[in-house]
Amino acid sequence: MVLAQGSSVIEAEGLGRRYADNWAVQDVDLRINKGEIFGLVGPDGSGKTTLLQLLAAILDPSSGRCRVLGYDTLRQASEVTSRIGYMAQGFTLYERLTVAENLAFSAKSRGVSSSLFASRREKLLAMAGLGSFLDRREGVLSGGMRKKLALCTNLVHEPPLLLLDEPGLGVDPLSRRELWRMLEAFGAGGTTIVLATSYMDEAERCDRVAFLDGGRIIAMGTPDELRAGVDGAVFSVRSNAPAAVEAALGGARNVLSLQWRPEEIHFVVDPSLGMPDELRVELGRTGRVEATVPSMDDVFVARSRSNDKEVLAKPVVLSGPLSGGGRDVPEQSVETRELSRRFESFIAVDHVSLDIGSGEIFGLLGANGAGKTTLIRMLCGLLPPTGGSARVAGVEVTRQPRFLRRRIGYMSQRFSLYPDLSVGENMAFFASAYGLRGRERRDAVDRTADLTGLQGLADDSVATLSGAVRQRLGLACSLLHHPAVLFLDEPTSGVDPLARFRFWRLIGGLAGAGTTVIVTTHNLEEAAYCDRLGLMHEGRLIALGDLSSLRAGLSGLAANTIEDVFLAYVEHSDEGAVAGGEAR
Amino acid sequence: MNLARVAAVIEKEAKEIIRDPITVATALLMPLVMLFLFGYAISLDVEDVAMGVLDQDRTPASRELADRFVRSGYFRLAASYGTAREVEMALQRNAVKIALVVPPGFQDRLAGNEIAPVQLLVDGTYSATANLVAAYAETIVSQYRGDTAPYVGVEARVWYNPSLRSVTYVIPGLFGVILLAFPPLLTALAIAREKETGSIQQIFASPITASEFLAGKLMPYVLIAFVQIVMVIVVGFLWFDVPLRGSLGLLLAAGLLYVFCTVGIGLLVSTVTQSQLAAMLLALIITLMPSFLFSGFLFPIFTMPYFLQLYTRLFPARYFVDFSRGLVLKGAGIPELWPSVALLLLYTLAVFALAVWRFKKKVA
Amino acid sequence: MGTRLAGLLLKETIQFLRDRVMLFLILWLYTVEIVICTLALSFEIEDMPLAVVDLDRTPASREIIDSFIVTEPFALAGYLASAAEATSWLQSGRARVALVIPKGLQRDLARGDTPALQLLLDGTNSNVAAQARGYALQIVGRYQSRHSIENVPAAGAQPVVRVWYNPDRTYTSFMVLSMVAVAALMVGVIYPAASIVREKETGTIEQLRVTPISIMELFVAKTFPTLVMGLLAVFPSLLIVWWFGVPMRGSLLLFLALTGLFLLSAIAIGVLVAAISRTQQQALLLSFFGLFPMMFLSGTLAPVESMPEALQTLSLASPLRHYMDVILGVFLKGAGLTDLWPQAVTLIAIGVPLFATATYIFTKRSA
Repeated sequence: MVLAQGSSVIEAEGLGRRYADNWAVQDVDLRINKGEIFGLVGPDGSGKTTLLQLLAAILDPSSGRCRVLGYDTLRQASEVTSRIGYMAQGFTLYERLTVAENLAFSAKSRGVSSSLFASRREKLLAMAGLGSFLDRREGVLSGGMRKKLALCTNLVHEPPLLLLDEPGLGVDPLSRRELWRMLEAFGAGGTTIVLATSYMDEAERCDRVAFLDGGRIIAMGTPDELRAGVDGAVFSVRSNAPAAVEAALGGARNVLSLQWRPEEIHFVVDPSLGMPDELRVELGRTGRVEATVPSMDDVFVARSRSNDKEVLAKPVVLSGPLSGGGRDVPEQSVETRELSRRFESFIAVDHVSLDIGSGEIFGLLGANGAGKTTLIRMLCGLLPPTGGSARVAGVEVTRQPRFLRRRIGYMSQRFSLYPDLSVGENMAFFASAYGLRGRERRDAVDRTADLTGLQGLADDSVATLSGAVRQRLGLACSLLHHPAVLFLDEPTSGVDPLARFRFWRLIGGLAGAGTTVIVTTHNLEEAAYCDRLGLMHEGRLIALGDLSSLRAGLSGLAANTIEDVFLAYVEHSDEGAVAGGEAR
Repeated sequence: MNLARVAAVIEKEAKEIIRDPITVATALLMPLVMLFLFGYAISLDVEDVAMGVLDQDRTPASRELADRFVRSGYFRLAASYGTAREVEMALQRNAVKIALVVPPGFQDRLAGNEIAPVQLLVDGTYSATANLVAAYAETIVSQYRGDTAPYVGVEARVWYNPSLRSVTYVIPGLFGVILLAFPPLLTALAIAREKETGSIQQIFASPITASEFLAGKLMPYVLIAFVQIVMVIVVGFLWFDVPLRGSLGLLLAAGLLYVFCTVGIGLLVSTVTQSQLAAMLLALIITLMPSFLFSGFLFPIFTMPYFLQLYTRLFPARYFVDFSRGLVLKGAGIPELWPSVALLLLYTLAVFALAVWRFKKKVA
Repeated sequence: MGTRLAGLLLKETIQFLRDRVMLFLILWLYTVEIVICTLALSFEIEDMPLAVVDLDRTPASREIIDSFIVTEPFALAGYLASAAEATSWLQSGRARVALVIPKGLQRDLARGDTPALQLLLDGTNSNVAAQARGYALQIVGRYQSRHSIENVPAAGAQPVVRVWYNPDRTYTSFMVLSMVAVAALMVGVIYPAASIVREKETGTIEQLRVTPISIMELFVAKTFPTLVMGLLAVFPSLLIVWWFGVPMRGSLLLFLALTGLFLLSAIAIGVLVAAISRTQQQALLLSFFGLFPMMFLSGTLAPVESMPEALQTLSLASPLRHYMDVILGVFLKGAGLTDLWPQAVTLIAIGVPLFATATYIFTKRSA
């Protein structure tokens, strides 16, 4: 190896990449040392993926230079690509090949000798918990397993440098935990790891983090250093009049974001300007203001410059009852009795009984393949149940599906929109799909655009939107007809923290106006926003209740974080059963 | 080029193909369907043409004339009509393709050594057969005359395909057509699909070089295409009884070269397009349609306008169709056929050079 | 119902107009492809290279040779000394037909004997060979009747050939109309298939299914723009048809109405393909799988009459075959609805069950 001990694995100077007139990455100076775990964070479209591709030497820089493992990425690209491991965003393995075949292809294409491969394979499979799925096709594995396998294929040649683009995207908490266990094991063994992420808990685990915005690195350092940089800009308010607090914050100029947490409102101000005195005084009148230790989420919020702050801080105000058709909606919005669905021999949803009241935010948590999506699809009338019954918004799901559809909104995992239509065209189309016409339709579109912060974007093409805006548009399209019940299937996966906070404020507003919201999520932090939670595991509903009662249910067990609670219930439910049935 | 890496790509690609039953079925069935379709359906042979007769003479001479049409083997008496209007209607309705109108006094004129005109009404919508029908009919009438005139006979000898069976000329041409029509279609999807799923990034960020990747992608499709050609050759010779006058070994060797060429075109299409849909439609326009229409397979090239004759040179099918007909039907060998083979070889090399040049291990 | 349908139609129309790849394909098929094919493709033989071996070298032999050379089908490739030389020219492809005139032709004719000309044909393209033989017989026949009238007062039957509908017997009219029909079929099948399957792939179809839109509304919305566009695209083709000098003997309105019916049955095939396939790749492969046999079975290249009985029966199921009757009938024969109503009824009879099957599969699959 050309690389001398102790020198930098990556050295970039003035690195930039331009697409037409747009600089996706600009003026990046970077030194990453051997054995470091280095995180890249930043809003959607800030250039994380482009930077990783430049480092992987699969994209030529438009300016500057970069040496990776001692080789120039422009002139010696093949030297770089033949040494590193690179995991692109999404699922990029061959879905028709089995787990074993995908691994073998990776080893052969990198010239790993068969004896070496055999021993490494056993080690990797054991770490990833994939040992019993060798002959499964990659395409039928769960998202978490696919990601772990992708990581394994990039580790068979034990690369000195591993570049990972959003490895935790679409992966449930359990798998994500295992993924990180593997990363840290290799990191400890001297592998340098550079990863892009939108999960701040992942950023927290990195040795150093670079914050990208608009293609530039605007902050870089250890998580502690970054947090220190926004000290004094993060506050929480405890008050009996939250509406007044929100109004005060919404009116203030420096406030970057506010977030409802259990019993408090959390907000971030512009760190360069600090808390304005008049705001402090005003808030002091309604409640108790305290400076809080910043989290990486707060760092993210404070550092994101390119976001339109006007939209961000604007409070969600709902004029009139949003659930227009909701006057005759009964108290119980969703009622299921022993609801089941089996696919051939596989039971996806196993006798689930649930009652969800109007205006409730109900969170469904569970690993990939636990049955959350199948349950939601049944409640939307997309999939007929094979057993039991369900009433949604007063309508028997199997009896009157078309009547049901007027009363519910559904936003699927992929925010299915028409990429070749503009924002306005998508909204107008979905409005007319629900039978809205003329003035009624224009009003609905305007009001929903206003609510979801899409004003002025009507002519933008969906294909060019960032993930966060797309997600808001997806929500807008399922809200146009004032649904009584709203189903959201993993609405925030891959969305950065700021957009996530905003999204949840919206959801809170909708629920406040009487809409029932049923949401699935992988991000356990988000469980805090829900009124009640249902934990699903292997098709069964293993726990039901609000967060504190769920905690209380674990007598004698120390369960601080939501993740601990979740895992404790899963382990409890698995006792006696054979572990590891994650595959769909 | 590292052969172990090429082998790894080949193995991976082959497994993926085998696990896509629709593609495999298309790859194997389509050529056979085409073979049978063309073997049976595409024929311009004129036989049993439906003929209508309006006999206004009603004499032994007029009946004898009509009889001669039937005896010639080209015509079949579909109906006799009483009025000219009926004849017209029959042609309009497609009930007959030709009508023979014998006017009153036909026999008397013949007896009186006068010229006895006879009308032949031919449906000209499909001109290729209309020409033949008219020519045969005219010859039959011309030869129906007094026996005193001297007579020039024509002794036509058809070489290479004495019975003038369509199949005999269709099948050797079809070898060239099928291999340009289908392998590129499948191959074009091969790289476009990896671009769409993103798996190609994994290849970029690996030691596999561009030419190793292309070579590995190529081989399984070459194998499929070679199976296709063998299948078509075997069925063509055994089922349709096409004579093989040249060397089978030479045919297979040139077939292999041609297969490399057509699969290479598919790869080239794949490298210039971003989506599967675009790759497929481009393949439709530059390989599938021209292979049927501009290869000389059905439509003779010598009748095309000059600039379109040049256009046909853009597609390799024409060289292979020439080669294959020459070898199979005329029994020609390398001394006669080397120009076609040389052109194919050049073509193939150019396609590969272009594909390697176009394919960069970069995402943009 | 009206609002939903109007919204769907608007959406489909916008999407259609933004799909550049598809628009290019349609334009290509309806214009460039038609022009190229019409110019290039013909089964008529023209300037077929003819080698002549004249062993007689008399005025009679020269007259026969001239009557060959002046005609359109044949062009002189060269005079050769022997039949053996002619053979090698045929082998190498320098000549495709050879005329051998035996020694003593003029003498035999004068004596009243029947001398025989030899025609050597390259049969590798049997259609070409058969036509060349036909022409040769015709030329010799005419030579003979010319002489029998001049020399011998006793004359015989005289053929008067009248070719209807296409007096010049050009292949152009047939080809241009047939390519218009093929373009309509391809577009009618491929566009709806691709656009429905694309919604399956992006997942928007699932989003539609939680709205009150019914499957029938969805189908109508997918059908209508293709139909309208298919009809509009016919107009540039009509210009091309006119430019090639093909007459329009029937009614334009009737033509458009029946074209609409044909497009509907083609769209029905596309919708069925979409109902069966899950990915665009499958949809396109299936479309091609269906389209090509249909093209060749329906008399677009070779007449249906010369196919075996079984295939002729099979071709009755192809809407293209009936549409060929329509397009040739309206343009060349001036046929009206009284002649073409069976075709109209058949097109409906083919389209309706296809739509019904597609709806059934769609409802069942998505349940």
